Parts: sequence; structure tokens; C-alpha cells
Amino acid sequence: MCDGSDRLIAWMDGELAPTEAAVIERHVRACKECGERLSTYEQVSREFAGYYAAMQSAEASKRARPLARLLPVPAAAAALAVIVLALMPHPGRKQVPAVPQVEVAPPPPVVQQTSVLQFKPAAKLRVATRRKPPDANWTMAEPAIQIAIPAEAIFPPGAMPAGATYIASLSLAPDGWVQEVRLQQRF
Amino acid sequence: MSGDSFPLNLTLSRFATGSCEATTLFHELRKPLLRYLTALGLSLEEAQDVVQDAFLSLHKHLARGGSRENIRSWLFRVAHNQARNWQRSYARRMAEPLDPGLDATSDQVTPEQAVLAKEKFRRLDRAVRLLQAQERECLMLRAEGLRYREIGEVLGIATSTVADTVERAVKKLAETCNV
Repeated sequence: MCDGSDRLIAWMDGELAPTEAAVIERHVRACKECGERLSTYEQVSREFAGYYAAMQSAEASKRARPLARLLPVPAAAAALAVIVLALMPHPGRKQVPAVPQVEVAPPPPVVQQTSVLQFKPAAKLRVATRRKPPDANWTMAEPAIQIAIPAEAIFPPGAMPAGATYIASLSLAPDGWVQEVRLQQRF
Repeated sequence: MSGDSFPLNLTLSRFATGSCEATTLFHELRKPLLRYLTALGLSLEEAQDVVQDAFLSLHKHLARGGSRENIRSWLFRVAHNQARNWQRSYARRMAEPLDPGLDATSDQVTPEQAVLAKEKFRRLDRAVRLLQAQERECLMLRAEGLRYREIGEVLGIATSTVADTVERAVKKLAETCNV
């Protein structure tokens, strides 16, 4: 078995000095194994060149496709509104009823995108990118409940990277009402 | 984009000469540079900004009477170094597989050919993402037609290192793709 030349590709690329190139050329003509290797390297090089040329259009189409990326907050807010409305307690109720996907958790880690919804007992929703506290003494409550929402449940297929998840953090007022919902996108 | 201005103490003839040369090079090398930068993971908008800044730097370089040798590798090196500022884009690009943008509805491509081409693209994309960054960059610059010496100038490595890296990278791709 021929150990082959470690300069086959440099020779193929025309990068060797004439004397060294002549040695390799003689060897390739005589050695069937190296001739086959050379064909393989030529094919790989051609395929890579085609791949490289297609990368720009592939990258452009990948970035252009998810138009829904521009609309994550409204779409998520609409989906979340449905979930939260289902969770909202009746007057006098002290605790949010347990549902399968609800878990008590510490504050979430990195926040990439945030939308704040405020809820009142009359179920009137207000979506704001910059939240204003209702009064001067208002302080943000610690999130009491977090709900993980798979992106596939909110967005059309392919609109978001695979595995993207939204975390909805619910803060409860002392009377048991949902005081604040913070929607966070986590990739 | 840079808002830099040109030095005003240039003679008109030199400015005009440099400008004409830079314009010619712009037409020749803009597309290859954009291709390389998007392959490195930059968005088209980011790549266009980098290319514009690179040519602005070239114009200044020529206007200052800088060397006119190896302009192609000079431009690629400037663009490559600026692209390094987008490390997150690069990491993101290598973390996500690319989908081939092949047009299956084209009259010249049968559905079977389109499927095969897409599969080949994905297989190669997986293999390329397993390479080391320098191996990928060497192959991209080689596919762009740069000589080993020019690739070495762009990446700041010796020509012999380029030869070894290209050899290793091609062999890895051949093994991974079972060509």
C-alpha cells in the first residue's frame, strides 16, 4: 500500500516548485492508488467550490424566510393572552389553579426580548414596549410563576429556530390576580 | 459604515489615479469579498458595510502611495480582520446548518436532481462545520481563487502552513463525505 504523497493537493493546485512538481507527477502516473486519491481530492474540491458559491444565496434565503421574526411580540402576546385568560382567577380566589406546564421557578436567566402585559381584573389587556408603573410607589413584583411555551406553539413552522422557547413569568398581586406577565424569548 | 474622510493634502492626479484604481478593483473584487464574508457568517448588510470600509481603506492606502502589490490579498485581509468583529455571527453561522437555496422549480433541474443536490449540500455543510476555523477559511479563500501565498497573507500564516492546512482540510472532507 502506498503511503501517498502529502503534497498531492498542493501539486493539484499548482503550488509546488517545478522540480518537486515533476517528482509528484511521475509518482502519480506510476501509482494507481495516488491517482485515485487525486481524483477524490479533485471531486471534493469541486463540490466544496459549488457549496461555497451557494452559501451566499443559502444564507440570504435563510435570513429572508422568517418574516414572522419581525412579529414575535404581537403574535406571542396574542397566544399568551389566551393562556393567561385561562389562568386568571375568579374574584376571591387566592391561588392560580395548577396546570400541567406551570412550575415555580427562580427568575429567568438572559432576557433577549421582552414584552410586558398588564392585567386587570376586568381582563383588559394593554401591550406596551415600555411599561409605566401605575403609581409612583409601584415596584415590580418578583415573578411567581413561569410557563415555558415552545415556539412551535406560537409561530408558523420554520419561523423560529428549532428549540426556541418563550418563558412567560407571571407576577401575582396580593389579592391573587395576575399583576404582570413578562414574556421572554429564549433560544 | 465608516464616516472617515479622505486626507485633503493629496495632489489631484494622485487622488484621481488612486480613485480610478480603487473603482476598478471594486468592480472586480466586490462580489468575491461579499461571498467570502457571508460565508464567514456575516449578513449581507454587514458584509456590504465591511466591503465598503475595506475599499475606503484601500483608497486611503493607495492615496498615501502604499504598495500596489498583492492588492487582492490586502483587501481580503482587511475584510477578514474586520469580519472578526462579528464573532457572534460567525459562531451562529457555524452553529446552524444552512439550507441550500436551490430552485427546484427551475426547468433545468428535475425534482430528483434538486433533491440530490440539496442532500449533497447538507452533507457537505455538516462536514464543513466539523472543520477548524482556519481550515474552513483556507478552503474558502482557495475556492475564491487565491494562491497559497495570498491566503497566508490574508490569514497571517506561513505559506507552508496554508499548504498543510488545505491538505488536511480536503482529506477531512473526503473522509467525512465518503467521496
